Amino acid sequence: MGIIELDGLEVRLGNRTVLNGLTGTLRGQSIGLLGPNGAGKSTLINTLLGFHRPLKGTARVFGLDVYRDRAKIRGAIGYMPENDSFIGNMSGVRFVRYMAELAGLPPAEALERAHESLFYVGLGEVRYRKVNSYSLGMKQLIKLAQALAHGPKLLVLDEPTNGLDPMARQRMIELIKEIRKEGSVRLLISSHLLRDIDEVCDEVLILKSGRIAALCNIEEERRSNRSFMELETVGATEKFSVSIRGLGCECAVFPGGRIKLVIPDNIEVRDLYVIASEQGVQIRRMHQRRDSLEDIFLRAMDNEAERPAHVNL
Amino acid sequence: MSIYKLNYRPYAGNVTPLWMRIVVLARYGLAEAWSSKFTIGLLVFSLLPPIVFLLIIYLTNNPLARALIGAGGSKALAIDASFFAIILQVQCWLALALASWVAPRLITFDLADNVLPILLSHPVTRFGYVLGKFVALMSVLSLVTWIPALLLFVYEGYTSPVPWFASNLQIGIGLLAGAMIWITFLSILGLALSSWVKWRVVATGIIFAAVFVPAGVGAIVSGVLRTKWGLLLNLPVMMSLLWRRILGAPDVIRQDFNLPTNSIIVMLVLGCLLFVAMLNARIRAREVVKG
Repeated sequence: MGIIELDGLEVRLGNRTVLNGLTGTLRGQSIGLLGPNGAGKSTLINTLLGFHRPLKGTARVFGLDVYRDRAKIRGAIGYMPENDSFIGNMSGVRFVRYMAELAGLPPAEALERAHESLFYVGLGEVRYRKVNSYSLGMKQLIKLAQALAHGPKLLVLDEPTNGLDPMARQRMIELIKEIRKEGSVRLLISSHLLRDIDEVCDEVLILKSGRIAALCNIEEERRSNRSFMELETVGATEKFSVSIRGLGCECAVFPGGRIKLVIPDNIEVRDLYVIASEQGVQIRRMHQRRDSLEDIFLRAMDNEAERPAHVNL
Repeated sequence: MSIYKLNYRPYAGNVTPLWMRIVVLARYGLAEAWSSKFTIGLLVFSLLPPIVFLLIIYLTNNPLARALIGAGGSKALAIDASFFAIILQVQCWLALALASWVAPRLITFDLADNVLPILLSHPVTRFGYVLGKFVALMSVLSLVTWIPALLLFVYEGYTSPVPWFASNLQIGIGLLAGAMIWITFLSILGLALSSWVKWRVVATGIIFAAVFVPAGVGAIVSGVLRTKWGLLLNLPVMMSLLWRRILGAPDVIRQDFNLPTNSIIVMLVLGCLLFVAMLNARIRAREVVKG
């Protein structure tokens, strides 16, 4: 069973269809939610939190219907919204305790975990200051602290690095990596920043115009695209290319000893070195091209119009 | 996730039942209301009239005091339905002042700081959120309305030399019912209007205006059209009539301006429905992050 299961999910807000027939199962430990502005990322998050009732289809979180069982789901989710959202005239520890109590923790436990989560995110020293005196980075961190305080099973982070300077961004990314590594919390991270998703996610859902443009495991995607390679060689390049064609590689030779090749799955890079050694060819440079998340994203954006609603790249 | 280890640990303890979340909202709401010294000042001021009424009841029932005042004075200080109607009116209008100060503190901060997306992402419904705030406001208003009024009623029953309590039970029930109707209406009105205004001071002014401006409009309607129905916009007159009838006190308004009790109740219910709709629309619009 996946963490999030979407089956023909359609959500309309007013007269506009914002999510249109989303189908897919998200299983990753850390799931990235990507898409241009207006793609439906926030609407999907709000639907998963039970704020919007699906017009058609279903969405399930941990096997529970997002609208019918929203109270149970909300108890198991920690949500960090994109915008400023806090009670400014409360102290940090009181605010986090309040949110933990609303999530169902008894007052004493809520207070204990409020202190702990504030220290965990690095706000321990300022926990008695009023929230409206916090800097932008601190405000992002306190939103994370309140999302963590009740020990959720799923942490939903909407643009967690929004507006942060490079240091604060790195701190946030490290925290998210730590939470992922701990293993008891699944993550759903919505972001415009491909680099953030690339660093912390193992699965990505790309939305465009309310449809799924791509749903893929980032690592598997990279592995499946590892076959394209560029070499710079010195020596009998032509003879070398004939030999590697004999292994089943497609290859093209360019002036200056440059060779571009696509190696089949059953051939290892080591085999190329063996042939080169046998023929006295030096491999001066080897560049194995790996698809970046940016490639995956751009390809999804280009191809979305031609694809059906649910595509596994 | 302990302080000294600085690592995350999942929570595996007990979880409170869902209805407790409403208590949490009410508890934090009350704490917010009492964090202002002005709230405490208003409460103390609102409890001064009951002390005066307590003294009057004492004097009326004390043989020595009655002898000193004389027979005429004793008659003037009769403790009956009209006396308790005055108590109820004084306390209920003081409750308006308290509500206009406390209601914006309960809800305006939440909306100004845009906390609803986080707050309602917990297992709390819109209804639960409003109910929590409503309970907090009702608790504050109860302290200055039916609680002191009923204590005075009980005190009169205790000090009266003649059997008074059983024969005047309608007054006790009327005090509770009249005050509850008013503070329920006032709480819904206060929360609804506060939710539409970003600044607390403005919200306080608007709550007062919502009570007294329609009264002026109603007076104009009555004057121009020569009809009593304009009084249906006059909340002070409507409530005064309702309270006196519930307590069994004689009407003090001119007979041709008397409003039927049913029409007063219908107006109060319509007002409540309007304010609930306003509150629902406002909170629904603010519960999610737009994007």
